[in-house]
Amino acid sequence: MTFEPEHPGMVERRLADLVPGESGVIAGISGDPAIARRLMELGLVPGTPVEVVRLAPLGDPVELRIRQIHLSIRRSEANRIRVTEA
Amino acid sequence: MSRRPEAGAGPAAALRPVPPAAGAPVAAAAAAARCIAILGNPNAGKSTLFNQLTGLRQKVGNYPGVTVEKKLGYCDLPSGRRAELTDLPGSYSLHPGSPDEVIVRDVLLGLQPDTPPPDLIVFVVDATHLDRHLYLALQVIDLGRPFLLALNMMDAAEEQGIRIDEEALAHLLGVPVIGISAARGTGLGRLRRLMDREVEPSTQRFRRRPPHVERVLQSLESRLPRHPLVPDRARGDLAMALLLDDGEDDALARVAPPHVLDDLQVLRRRLDAADPEWRAHEIEGRYERISEILARAVAAPGGARDRATQRIDRVLTHRVFGPAIFLVLMGAIFQSVFAWAQPAMDAIDLLVHQTGGLVGRLLPPGPLHSLVVDGVIAGVGTTVTFVPQIAVLFFFIALLEDSGYMARAAFIMDRLMAKVGLSGRAFIPLLSSFACAIPGIMATRTIDNRRDRLTTIIIAPFMSCSARLPVYAMLIGAFVPNRWVGFVTLPGITLFAMYFLGIVAAVSVAWLLKRTLLRGGKPLYVMELPPYRRPAWRSILLTVRDRSLLFLRKAGTVILGVSIVLWFLASYPRSGAETDALRTQLGAAQAAGDAAQAKVLEGDLAGATLRNSFAGQVGRALEPVIAPLGFDWRIGIGLVTSFAAREVMVSTMATVFNLGDADEAPVSLRRTLRTAVDPATGARAYTPLVGITLMVFFVLACQCMSTLAVARRETNSWRWPLFMLLMMNALAWAASFAVYQGGRFLGFG
Repeated sequence: MTFEPEHPGMVERRLADLVPGESGVIAGISGDPAIARRLMELGLVPGTPVEVVRLAPLGDPVELRIRQIHLSIRRSEANRIRVTEA
Repeated sequence: MSRRPEAGAGPAAALRPVPPAAGAPVAAAAAAARCIAILGNPNAGKSTLFNQLTGLRQKVGNYPGVTVEKKLGYCDLPSGRRAELTDLPGSYSLHPGSPDEVIVRDVLLGLQPDTPPPDLIVFVVDATHLDRHLYLALQVIDLGRPFLLALNMMDAAEEQGIRIDEEALAHLLGVPVIGISAARGTGLGRLRRLMDREVEPSTQRFRRRPPHVERVLQSLESRLPRHPLVPDRARGDLAMALLLDDGEDDALARVAPPHVLDDLQVLRRRLDAADPEWRAHEIEGRYERISEILARAVAAPGGARDRATQRIDRVLTHRVFGPAIFLVLMGAIFQSVFAWAQPAMDAIDLLVHQTGGLVGRLLPPGPLHSLVVDGVIAGVGTTVTFVPQIAVLFFFIALLEDSGYMARAAFIMDRLMAKVGLSGRAFIPLLSSFACAIPGIMATRTIDNRRDRLTTIIIAPFMSCSARLPVYAMLIGAFVPNRWVGFVTLPGITLFAMYFLGIVAAVSVAWLLKRTLLRGGKPLYVMELPPYRRPAWRSILLTVRDRSLLFLRKAGTVILGVSIVLWFLASYPRSGAETDALRTQLGAAQAAGDAAQAKVLEGDLAGATLRNSFAGQVGRALEPVIAPLGFDWRIGIGLVTSFAAREVMVSTMATVFNLGDADEAPVSLRRTLRTAVDPATGARAYTPLVGITLMVFFVLACQCMSTLAVARRETNSWRWPLFMLLMMNALAWAASFAVYQGGRFLGFG
């Protein structure tokens, strides 16, 4: 188990900016700690690969694939999840 | 306290809520039956297993003070012992994010007053999604209670080429592991035998915390008083629960003395300053352990979501086809609730009529006759007529939930519903409310966020239900000329406008509530999109049965009671100068064999009785309040009696105007309303403007005791139903006032 900071050289993007089909690795979750904890408990922990599967017909929410489970979260949450290149 | 169900108890008795265990010796209860809790993530197949193990021996109630459903059932173990099974709500974590999860944590920590901690936890995981489902499993194993892991859906796992070494997994977790398929019923015999055995808690511990968090927890733990139901091993988890809690939690506040609660703030701030990510470490640590365990016990081909689900989702959540299919499905469900339930409702109506006639012949005419036929039998009829709609709607809801489509429906609708601050799951309850708010309100159970659910319950009655239709039909028929305007008719436009007004009111009230009374921390909308599954018909039918019986028991009793009160108000006092004179004339006409005259006099007598009844007096007393809306006391009587059900307005108006049976005389009723005069002034009593105003009133007013009774049952208090009653009626009055006075100002009526 490591407690070092994230690799400094990696470029971070927001999960909400990934287009369907794109993948990344979770780097961290910003904002309200209670919501961040909840998202992590659902499997969105740093270091985990995540793929944006599709957007809902109206563009929100977003369907994610993580640990072989498909989750739907709103863009407002996806905006707070930082990802690095897969 | 006996924990056994009553032998040979009928379905009504089987629904009796569990007597509270507070104060009862827990050991004695455990000796009578083995308490086993079934626990797992949502979509793990927990309820299917529960249904398989218990069959029909179930009872459904509520945990005290909350709207979380408590499901209990019984099953016989091979040794002949009886097990009492609790189907705990599906959860993702012991650190709760919903009222359901609070209950689960409290039951497992021993903090739930009416439910002793289980003697054994049967933890159900979906074998095809082990890594996510093991997260909660490891948290629960850490609590140190007897634990048994049921790997469900082993058949699906095998099909996907996932190989699980059960022995290795059992060894790594330190708990018994058994593969089953709850849907197919395989492995259940072995599971029953395991449930019969005494299981030692695992000696393994899966939590990993960095030393600085562990130090804080240990100091906190040492300050917590001992709790008789919390095992020593779980005290650290209790401390962690306290540390992570946001301060709204009653059960936790009870176990911690006030000075410890004060210290918590300091500790939390200190941790935040030293390490902003301290909350994450335990979670990361657990997922790391899961990866290690799975690497040693499971061989799975990568990317194993089943192909069928991917293919189906490509269509069902497609940008164009997705919403189109959704709309067609919703239309079909709505139509079914309307149309399929109708024959059953008509049959119930007929049965009630015939029972009334039969019993009526057995009883001599008089007060008792009237009480039994018009009070009790009619009241029971009112209650039972809701059951077909409830059954049909819940059949579809259970089907959509079970197959996995419900999550997709919410996915498609979320954006739209988010505009009024609700989630996609509010759509189906609101749509159903167009048929009837009763099943609609009951359907809000699929909404997990408490505030969203309350908002949905409160706005559901604004949807124009089928009981308003006869009222609209009567008023439109009487006051709106049947004229073509372009390619639609004036009555059509009016009817549409009434439905539209209800939607506008619902959206506005939801918007307001979410910014005022039901404002709260921004909820997190995370929803799992589970793989599609073939629905388990047995579970679906059990759901239909549970919902129908719950409604009859919990709401039906209130509805019956209020029906009898309303009958009394409309029938008493029975004698007065006018009614006595009419009764004498009626007797004379019957003696003379003049059937036509007798029929007229019967209508006159019914009208006179109603006008002079308590309901009539209430109607007169209401007149000053409703006169500014253009309503007279006769409409006032209708507003009172239609509290039993809105369509009663029609028969009440017929009775008030001495027309007898409204069904026989719809045309003369319309003409009567059009030409009715105000006895005091001799002027026309109801202008078309009054008709429109009355319709607006019916769109917005909460005039349905059944809605209030079911809202009371679903929110577990009278507070919200009372709020609905006052808010909706105030809104209805204000809107009607604006329409009537505005209309008069503009020169209509």
